[in-house]
Amino acid sequence: MSLMKGLKARLTSIFRPRAAESRMEEELRFHLEMEIDKNIRAGMPPGEARRRAMISFGGLDGHREAMRDGRGARLVGDLGRDMRVALRGLARNPGFAAVAVLTVGIGVGATTAVFSAVDAVLLRPLPFAEPGRLVELDEIVIPYHTEGREYPKSRPYITDARALTDTFTDVAAYAPGGMNLGGLGTPRRIRVGVVTANFLSALGVRPLLGRDFTADEEVPGAPPVALVSYGLWGTAMGADPDAVGRAITLNGHTHEVVGVMPRGFAFPDEAEVWLPMSIPITSATFDAFRQYIPSRLVARLAPGVTIEQARSRARALLAPYEQPDRPVEATPAELVRPLHRSLVGNGGTELLVLLGVTALVLLVASTNVANLLLSRAVARRHEIALRSMLGASSFRLIRQLLAESSLLALLGGAAGVAVAVMGAQLLNTLVPSALSGAAPIRVDIRVLGFALAVAVTTGLAFGLWPALAARRTSAAGALKGGGAGPGGDTETSRLRRLCVVGEVALALMLLIGSSLMLRSLHRLLSTESGLQPEGVATLELTLARADYPTTAARRQFYEGVLDRLRRNPQVVAAAAINELPLRGQWGVAFLVYPEGARPERDHLQYAQDLRVTPEYFRTMGIRILQGRPPGPRPAGTEVGEVAINEALADAYWPGQSPIGARLQWQNDMLYEIVGVVSNVRPGSLDDEVIPQAYYSLLDTPYDNAALVARGRIPAEDLTGVLQEAVRAVAPGQAVYNVRTMEEVIAGTIAPRHTRTALITTFGLVALCLAAVGVYGVIAFGVARRTREIGIRLALGANPRRVIGGVVAEGLLLALAGTVPGLAGAWMLSRYLESLVYGVSTTDPVAFTAAPVALLAIATLAALVPAWRASRINAVEAMRVE
Amino acid sequence: MARESRSEVLRGAIDLLVLKTLALEPMHGWGIGQRIEQISGGELLVRQGSLYPALQRLEHAGLIESEWGPSESNRRARYYSLTRAGRRALEKETESWRRFAAAIEVVLETT
Repeated sequence: MSLMKGLKARLTSIFRPRAAESRMEEELRFHLEMEIDKNIRAGMPPGEARRRAMISFGGLDGHREAMRDGRGARLVGDLGRDMRVALRGLARNPGFAAVAVLTVGIGVGATTAVFSAVDAVLLRPLPFAEPGRLVELDEIVIPYHTEGREYPKSRPYITDARALTDTFTDVAAYAPGGMNLGGLGTPRRIRVGVVTANFLSALGVRPLLGRDFTADEEVPGAPPVALVSYGLWGTAMGADPDAVGRAITLNGHTHEVVGVMPRGFAFPDEAEVWLPMSIPITSATFDAFRQYIPSRLVARLAPGVTIEQARSRARALLAPYEQPDRPVEATPAELVRPLHRSLVGNGGTELLVLLGVTALVLLVASTNVANLLLSRAVARRHEIALRSMLGASSFRLIRQLLAESSLLALLGGAAGVAVAVMGAQLLNTLVPSALSGAAPIRVDIRVLGFALAVAVTTGLAFGLWPALAARRTSAAGALKGGGAGPGGDTETSRLRRLCVVGEVALALMLLIGSSLMLRSLHRLLSTESGLQPEGVATLELTLARADYPTTAARRQFYEGVLDRLRRNPQVVAAAAINELPLRGQWGVAFLVYPEGARPERDHLQYAQDLRVTPEYFRTMGIRILQGRPPGPRPAGTEVGEVAINEALADAYWPGQSPIGARLQWQNDMLYEIVGVVSNVRPGSLDDEVIPQAYYSLLDTPYDNAALVARGRIPAEDLTGVLQEAVRAVAPGQAVYNVRTMEEVIAGTIAPRHTRTALITTFGLVALCLAAVGVYGVIAFGVARRTREIGIRLALGANPRRVIGGVVAEGLLLALAGTVPGLAGAWMLSRYLESLVYGVSTTDPVAFTAAPVALLAIATLAALVPAWRASRINAVEAMRVE
Repeated sequence: MARESRSEVLRGAIDLLVLKTLALEPMHGWGIGQRIEQISGGELLVRQGSLYPALQRLEHAGLIESEWGPSESNRRARYYSLTRAGRRALEKETESWRRFAAAIEVVLETT
């Protein structure tokens, strides 16, 4: 009880200082008056009484100070005062303040921006219920039931996994696909998640409106239903509160909307619509996909079950299916993987490397600001010495200097947050695609907290050391004014040089990293892709089953569009292919071998399955090495035509021409080889070359295809021609990914591009900061020796030698930093292993070009003060002291 | 009248003196100082600079509490009184002070 009273009193004095102050005033005044009264009663005249009382009282201010000290509120008040003083000090030197705040802002901003990506991908748990209990399963498949044909069971089914109720409470599957949204204005391509009925409940997510899928919607032939995303509900359905029960059209089929998902849920792959996946899968399931269904299995561990236990159960489940020619290669650890880690894949390492790089930039920035503060503290050492002699405790002095650096750090931190917010969007390409939809990059409270922590730590780090250094400056020496001169004493000067050497080393490491990345990018871009993308326009489309139910109908569509394009004078060549090359991933490869001569298992080749129209190679600029493109199967024969690439030809027919030979496809169909074409990288420029086989698209017109055209007009305009041709033949047909072939390729290297751009920017920023650092130190060195240089010039010294001397000084500093920089880069470059392409991490070109560039810039930075030194007027110089 | 011998009061002792003084009756700050001076026969003179911080200290520790009241001359004054915790602290501190003083005696005797 008493403690409460005490606490209340203490709090009052802190939070209501004015009330406490006035109370104290009144008490002290009462005391004084009583003392005066006492003196009067003792016989003194009133004036004397008052005087005596005041003397014995000892001055009100001292009391006030003592009381305030006791209050502990003093600390808060002092901090406020220090901050205000610091603010005034910065306002007096706006140039210095701007430079310092900007520098800190860059460092904090870069680090925060990358951290927001790291947070989104690695640190933030998945936005599902108890995400730590979710796992991804491997080597378990969804059974397949296409018309008439049954495939032999070689792996356990999802139903078998579901039977392990003591291990998993839910086993679900999902696959990201795309469909055409129709019936609402322009037909649009949207991302669709095809999921088992228990997918959402496995994740612990419930619809905002309506209901989840039910188990009987997972059966083939169930009435078509759909769940829509919050975003789609807003844009396509006008946020209708009665949306449940309405219909949407996907690929020409009507689906009943049974629910709307909550805001922000977009898994997998930023899905806008979810459809139930039937078990077993039927041909209707393929509606949302291209050649295969990219399904992944996710499961929730039953309570109390460890992942190890789940792994052994999964291994046991798999055991009966092991065949001698198809062994289970996955280790138990790979069979059941924690979901988060599984989705992140390799993306995490790359982000962490990037974070390490930004930390280096932050270090360089901080060193620069520390240098700035140090020179400022040195310039103010007279003031500091005076204050210390007048009784300011060293603690107070340090606190004042720290207040300044903290203020700078906070302002810089705020600027940094602005940088981070702008930069966070650019970093979206760094999120691994498997995670997209579940890990949006946001600058939220956690990221802001990180930014604050970084800013404060940086502020203390670069503030503490100059503050301590300034304190050590001897008071007497400082006041005398002579001796050290405006450049500071030798010790601080040495410290600053050391700093600059450090900055140079760090900047060099960043520059070498940038060079490696730039060379990788260059290597990648000059990789032989196998085709000539300049001037080629593309678009992709999916023909809805409902509108094109037969092979003949689809063939008619392609022939119609291509015919229309051919008749356009602006088009040189046009064609269609089932799957565009260099669009990121590629589809399927099937087993092929020379007719009747199936080779040994180790020599079997799986060729990428491509279906094209005859003009394809001419349109894409792919060289035909022998023969001609494949055409439709001639009437009366069962044997189709195929053109194979060099890789396949060399594998099965080394040294001879395969023209005329026959290729067996999937142990089944036969094709006559009519041509050999050059290799084309399948998915992206850094993919390996693989065997490829081009069959006739018109024989098997797929519903997913891409149109390509080469023309006499720029590719961007040609895309419009493509769209118009499709519209003319089929007005309601949705098209997507309308872009030039160069954009397609650029898309695949976007992540690498972003990373290179980032690291190069950081390298350049660090270079600038280091140059400024060199300039600063050299300039102060010159200022320190103004008198000496002035005298030398007056005595007839050659100004060029003065310049040379100063520049040599700067060069020496830079060289001193180059050595540790090279060593550091050598040791750390191995961490860039996963990011470089085509160059070794110790590439000699990078390791020479970067230091040369750095030394050149350092020379320039030293040149400015050097030139100024040579113009020192001796008479003026002597007047400085 | 000038007093010849005045000694500074040990800081720790002042808390004890204040508590003891308030054990008799609630008082305002000036009164406390006067009382201590009187009872000690002029030996202990509490400086204002030590008294008020001590009062604040004791109040924050919850050993005394205060409120406004009218003074002898009908001015407004802040009156302090012991809390229950203060009373307990007084007993404890008195005990340990006596032990401390006895120990010093012993040392001084045996030298």
